[in-house]
Amino acid sequence: MIRVRGLSKSYQRGGETLTVLDGLNLEMEAGRFYALMGPSGSGKTTLLNLVGGLDRPDAGELFVAGEDLGKISGAILAQWRADNVGFVFQGFNLIPVLTALENVALPLTLTPLSRSERRAHALHALELVGMQDRAHHRPKQLSGGQEQRVAIARAVVTDPQIILADEPTGDLDRDSAGQVLDLLVQLHRDLDKTILMVTHDPHAAERAQSIVHLDKGQLGRIEDTPRALAAGD
Amino acid sequence: MLRLVVRNLTKHKLRSLLTVGSLVVALFLLCILRTLVTTLEAGTQAAKSNRLWVQSAVSLFVDLPLAYEAKIDAVEGVEKTCKVQWFGAYYQNEDSFFGQFAVDGDTFLDIYPEVVIVAGSRAGFLANRIGCLVGKALAKKYKWEIGDRIPLIAALFQKDDGSAWDFELEGIYEVTEPVWDDRTFFFHWDYFEKTMEATTTGQPDVGTFVVQTRQGADQVPVMAAIDQLFEHGPQRVQSTTEADFQAQFVSMMGNIPFFVAAIGGGVLLAIFLACVNTMIMAAREQTRDIGIMKALGFTDRSMFRLLTLQSMTLCVTGGLLGIGLALLAEPWIAHGMGSFFPGFAITAGTRDLGIALTLGIGVLAGIVPAWQASRLRCVEALRSME
Repeated sequence: MIRVRGLSKSYQRGGETLTVLDGLNLEMEAGRFYALMGPSGSGKTTLLNLVGGLDRPDAGELFVAGEDLGKISGAILAQWRADNVGFVFQGFNLIPVLTALENVALPLTLTPLSRSERRAHALHALELVGMQDRAHHRPKQLSGGQEQRVAIARAVVTDPQIILADEPTGDLDRDSAGQVLDLLVQLHRDLDKTILMVTHDPHAAERAQSIVHLDKGQLGRIEDTPRALAAGD
Repeated sequence: MLRLVVRNLTKHKLRSLLTVGSLVVALFLLCILRTLVTTLEAGTQAAKSNRLWVQSAVSLFVDLPLAYEAKIDAVEGVEKTCKVQWFGAYYQNEDSFFGQFAVDGDTFLDIYPEVVIVAGSRAGFLANRIGCLVGKALAKKYKWEIGDRIPLIAALFQKDDGSAWDFELEGIYEVTEPVWDDRTFFFHWDYFEKTMEATTTGQPDVGTFVVQTRQGADQVPVMAAIDQLFEHGPQRVQSTTEADFQAQFVSMMGNIPFFVAAIGGGVLLAIFLACVNTMIMAAREQTRDIGIMKALGFTDRSMFRLLTLQSMTLCVTGGLLGIGLALLAEPWIAHGMGSFFPGFAITAGTRDLGIALTLGIGVLAGIVPAWQASRLRCVEALRSME
């Protein structure tokens, strides 16, 4: 599903070049739930952005869902994102002027679906995350945990192959974080999505099947979680 | 997408309302100011090519001897001549002032087929020595009806006993072209002349002569012949085409088109900058939203369209409201302008110019923020704290 070879990415900061990923090699299987861990500055979010096609690598190969992301850009890359990736962000990132239903339906406007079909799909996605009764609420009328569930509904509504979650529980209290992680686990199990979740929280990481450790822009190790081992995954 | 545009615009209601309000005022002013110019120009454009005006070479306010009429009539190419004298009286009190002219009634109506009698009759007007002809708007203003006696108090041409001049309404006219307005009062030259002859002032002079040239006659030699006729006095004359005569009034009011263009242009430029400012602020506030949408798969081009559409919606709303308001207010403004701008009416050209400017402002005000939004890198936009 995800194959990375010699991936490098650096940024210019204050006249200096900051290397974030330095020849990273990594492979991830389709349909598996990965947690991406590492200290601050280890390149977790950068890797997530590159895998999601939000940013472009400086060097190396990056194959995601059968596409070499280093070789596409602009409108083609945007369409690839729309077709293949669902994003869940730490700050939820819902459009504040749209209702929960409209936020979830937004990515569907890029598909050939009719308005009523888009509405039906969006309502179904909200139902999956238990937010159908908040469909007509605006983001600021929702709690953090509810906002994140709406964001998860938006991430899965187009039925993408990959869900990328960047610290999805970072801004949530313990209970809400637990509910969001339960939801991700449930969606992974029921919808068979590949999930790549950046997290600092070891408890959150243990909900995944595998933990990928990054350090200074390079792969540290990949380990299966007790949950995966217990389940024989 | 349209829903998102509307929601973004209504997110800051006061700001959007103020911007729309400023556009309403700007487009309203533009329509009204331009209509002042087109109204002035309409008189010139409606002027007939077979009519000449003969006035004193010194000034329009210097009269010509009555005896000139016969000499002008004798000039080769002249078909008819009509004497015109501005009367300058008032009705009831000095505030009830309108244009009045003593004219050769029969000739006047022949020369001006644009003046159409819609109540009363030409025959009644011609048969009644004190008969008068008034414009429809003037008759409506004073609720005059055919047969009404209308006393006018003269300021310039007073009777020796100071009494009012009596007139009887014999006709109400409309105009098919704005060569005259429909707030003017015409009466017979003979009545004017005979009454003045009975006063110590004596026989009156003529303000101007309107000359109708023969069909197919070249006006240039006719004008030259008339001017040459009185080259040695007692009063030198200046003959002009009707269009030039009308244009003279426009120029007397100063370079109105220039001032109107300068004021209108200044207002539009200020509003344009205000719209650009509004759109740049709106785009900055939506930076994070733009990042989210790009992450979801929206293209740079669709972000350009979103911001342009937002700008267009804002400007078109304000612009069309301003144009609509001007069209609604047109009858009241026309009434208020009275005789100063006869035939005041917003033309299709002015309306279309307003629409074109509205669209232009909409596109131009949106281009910079739309371009910035399209160039914005997704990861940077998502980091935005706006």
